[in-house]
Amino acid sequence: MQPPASAIDLEDVRLTLPSAAGPVSILNGISLNVASGETMALLGPSGSGKSSLMMIAAGLEAATSGRVTVAGTDITRLSEDALARFRRGRVGIVFQSFHLIPTMTALENVAVPLELIGVHDAFDRSRTALDAVGLGARVEHYPSQLSGGEQQRVALARAMAPEPQVLFADEPTGNLDGETGQEIADLIFALHAQARTTLFVVTHEQALARRCGRVVQLKDGRIVADERT
Amino acid sequence: MNISLAFRLAARQARSGLSGFRIFFTSLVLGVMAIAGVGSLSEAFLTGLAQQGRVLLGGDVSIGLVHRETTNEEHAFLAKHGRTTETASMRAMAYAMNNGVEGARQLIELKATDKHYPLYGHVGTSPNVALKDALACKGTTCGALVEETLLGRLHIARGSIIRVGTQNFRVEAVLVREPDRISGGFSLGPHVLISDTALKRTGLVTYGSLIEYTYRLQAPASLSTDVFRSEANRKFPNAGWEIRTRENPTPGTRSFIDQVTMFLTLTALTILAVGGVGAGQAISAFLDRKRAEIAIFKSLGADGALIFTAFFIQIMAIAALAVVVGNLAGALLPFLVEWLYGTDLPIPASFAVFPQPLLLATAFGLLAAAATAIPALARARDIAPAALFRDAVDRSRTRIRWPYLLASAIAGLLVLLLAIAIAPSKLFAAEFLAGIAGGLVILRLVAGILRWCAGRLPRARNASVRLALANLVRPGAPTAGVITALGLGLTLLATVTLLGHTITSQVSDELPASAPSFFFLDIQPNQAAQFDRIISHFHSAQDYRRTPMIRGRIVSLKGVAARDAKVSADSRWALAGDRGITYAAAPPKGTQIVDGKWWPQNYAGPTLISFDADLARGMGLKIGDTIGLNVLGREIDGRIANLRDVNFGSGRQNFVLILSPGIIDKAPHSFLATVRVAPKDEEPLYRAVTDAFPSVSAIRVKDAIAQVSALLQQLSVGVGAASLLTILAGLLVLSGAIATSQRARLFDSTVLKVLGATRGRIAVIYALEFGLLGIVSGLLSIGIGAAAAWTISKTVFGLPFAFDLGAAVLTVVGGGAATLALGLAGSWQALAAKPNRQLREQ
Repeated sequence: MQPPASAIDLEDVRLTLPSAAGPVSILNGISLNVASGETMALLGPSGSGKSSLMMIAAGLEAATSGRVTVAGTDITRLSEDALARFRRGRVGIVFQSFHLIPTMTALENVAVPLELIGVHDAFDRSRTALDAVGLGARVEHYPSQLSGGEQQRVALARAMAPEPQVLFADEPTGNLDGETGQEIADLIFALHAQARTTLFVVTHEQALARRCGRVVQLKDGRIVADERT
Repeated sequence: MNISLAFRLAARQARSGLSGFRIFFTSLVLGVMAIAGVGSLSEAFLTGLAQQGRVLLGGDVSIGLVHRETTNEEHAFLAKHGRTTETASMRAMAYAMNNGVEGARQLIELKATDKHYPLYGHVGTSPNVALKDALACKGTTCGALVEETLLGRLHIARGSIIRVGTQNFRVEAVLVREPDRISGGFSLGPHVLISDTALKRTGLVTYGSLIEYTYRLQAPASLSTDVFRSEANRKFPNAGWEIRTRENPTPGTRSFIDQVTMFLTLTALTILAVGGVGAGQAISAFLDRKRAEIAIFKSLGADGALIFTAFFIQIMAIAALAVVVGNLAGALLPFLVEWLYGTDLPIPASFAVFPQPLLLATAFGLLAAAATAIPALARARDIAPAALFRDAVDRSRTRIRWPYLLASAIAGLLVLLLAIAIAPSKLFAAEFLAGIAGGLVILRLVAGILRWCAGRLPRARNASVRLALANLVRPGAPTAGVITALGLGLTLLATVTLLGHTITSQVSDELPASAPSFFFLDIQPNQAAQFDRIISHFHSAQDYRRTPMIRGRIVSLKGVAARDAKVSADSRWALAGDRGITYAAAPPKGTQIVDGKWWPQNYAGPTLISFDADLARGMGLKIGDTIGLNVLGREIDGRIANLRDVNFGSGRQNFVLILSPGIIDKAPHSFLATVRVAPKDEEPLYRAVTDAFPSVSAIRVKDAIAQVSALLQQLSVGVGAASLLTILAGLLVLSGAIATSQRARLFDSTVLKVLGATRGRIAVIYALEFGLLGIVSGLLSIGIGAAAAWTISKTVFGLPFAFDLGAAVLTVVGGGAATLALGLAGSWQALAAKPNRQLREQ
């Protein structure tokens, strides 16, 4: 049987950021390969570099050195704008703080990435995506009129609507109460099961991590464990 | 890039309304309103002048002559083109007659009219009387119409008898309206209208008297005034007349309106510049708040160009709205003026909506908005999506890409070029704008230095002072912006005030020390000896000078007709109209020759000229060049023998042209005399001269100065109002800066209160912070304003600069107080907030 193609391939990735006290090493030679369709959780204590690793893998930040290939594209040397264009349709991101655009309705928030791609029926597809997360009746609501759980559902619909190859989720349940967090987690895995999207979850919750097929642990910018469940 | 998507995103962004854009919007409205208002008002007056050209001129064409009437040939030429009317204007003395005895007396502007006057418009009188009947001579007395002010000054009433020259007049009615008055020029006394027949009886008309004869022509509409002008000049090349046409009846008024419009438009541009500082800050603050949103867009795949375009569309849409509101307010200004002043306006105005100034204001507004917005947007364009996770990205390090810097610079440059292109005096406009730019740069630099110094001062012992200084230098503090914006407004006010003080003190304070007490005009040669004797009776009389004077026009320079000669703008006045000419064998006392030599005492050769050195420079003339003069219809060519420094600020007799005797002294002429006497002798001298010589006009310098001062006062009120608008824009910027830092202040004050600071203590900290900002802005403004006023008074007016301590103190204290008041008012929320509530909400 043919091994699955790589969705994410990181080779000796390093990240150093400037600070008032001098350069700070955030990531120290990370090499990681995530297969297409795989679900992976990135665990680690605060300050271990989880979010930075996800940002590099999602093309939100450039690595100081190393090589980053996502969905078959080497994005290591892409410019800011080229990275933005690369993300369109290939990468979906769900944030801990939802990051919906407050001046847009739920429907418009979901439509934005589709509009950026140039999809003709962006709003129809957005409606379908919102139906899929159980918010078909709240499409015209603004973020401020939605609860935290509902906002995260909108964010999930927005990330999944363009049918990306990789879905990054950064502490997707971190800002939600236990029950709502559970619902969101169920939804993420249900959507993954439906679309077979590669799932890259950053979390510090063991329960959420255990639902993934693979758990990678990070400490001080280095991978200290890589287990398949 | 998908433009339609950018529009869609901008439209969705716009749902948050003007929130975050109030300062940007208001600054732009103020600037556009000022430009549109000034332009509309100017158009209203210029259109009024053009529409009423015939009435204001009193004809379709007017021909002006000094000293002489037209010849029969000339008159026949005029009559061939239509109906004509003749008026004679001069300055004279009017005496109140009480039972045949001369009482109070007053210098008047006398105008004698023929029976055809006026050709257009009507003479307004109170009570309403027929002009012909009112001016008619009955027996030994003729009728006169006089302005109300003359009645007051001579303590007489309607029906009283006044004497002008040797003729008695009955005041038949009060002169309320003279249709062609505005084309008559500056008045030194009340106007009096009499008939031409009566003028002949006054004895004032002698050959060489300073009389201006004006012939007005009522021509068919088919007459081309240009054709008439060229035909008149071709047929009578030596007539020496001044031809005006219905298209531009009062070139002086038109030029005055143009100049005032230019100055006020430049001031309005300063409002835009001040507002621009605030607008830039407001847009940066807005985009800072949108940082996360921009990062979200980026994380969803939006590239920088899309982000830039979407926000640019949004900001320019708000700018367009501000331009519409500003234009609406500006377009209403003429109607407001009409409502306030109605028919009291000295210049006729046509009140309407004028598209041209509105288009101009639109262009200025949109270009200024683009110049301001582009740099801030270019920074926002490069916000990294990583900002969603990490705030450590140093915002100040974001460098603006060069194409955006270039675009912003082009927009700014277009504003400057447009301002210079529409200005009647390009050099002045360019210097003014350079001054504004220089002021901005200096203020910004000093503000930066102040911040730098405040950050490095040894720690103050007083905690309030330490915290106030810390507020000025903390990251994101609007110190530089506030000092720049408020400072520029105050600088303009300081410049205008100090310049006004310099001019008025020159006119009212410094002149009398060296200036004569009286000018006496029209002393006839046969009166000269007796006149000298009268003066000699006054022991306090000093600097008495009696000089021959005749009026003439400069008609050619180096053989080139004056109208075709290349002459700088600041020297052109000397070619427009008649100039006083004198002659002298020896250089008059105080003459300062800067080039060439005076002619020998007994020189009797061809005419030599001593000419004003400044004018010679402006006209490109040097020693040996020829100047052609027209005196009493005769052309005299002279060669420049020397150039003199002529100081018009001295208030003494100043002649641009002094000729060598030989030819000019043969022409009939009168004398001009000046003398300075002790204040106690002023009235006796005035009476003695006017008693002895009813035909001599006595001009009291004090009265003339009062008239000029009053005119300057009126002008400075208008200019001051425009400057205050600039300060208002500066205060807007300040309030915007306070609003931007409100959150940080709220947090700081909460923490301070938790730590035990009272509201009074926090208020003291804010008072120190804002007071310091205001005082620094005020001090800087005085410094830069004084430098600007010094430069302008030296280079433009040629006057010594007079510093006004009162104005300086007022600017500093006013600036400080306004900043303090606005700062404390703006920080009220932070002072009043309950710490427990704030802590729960944090």
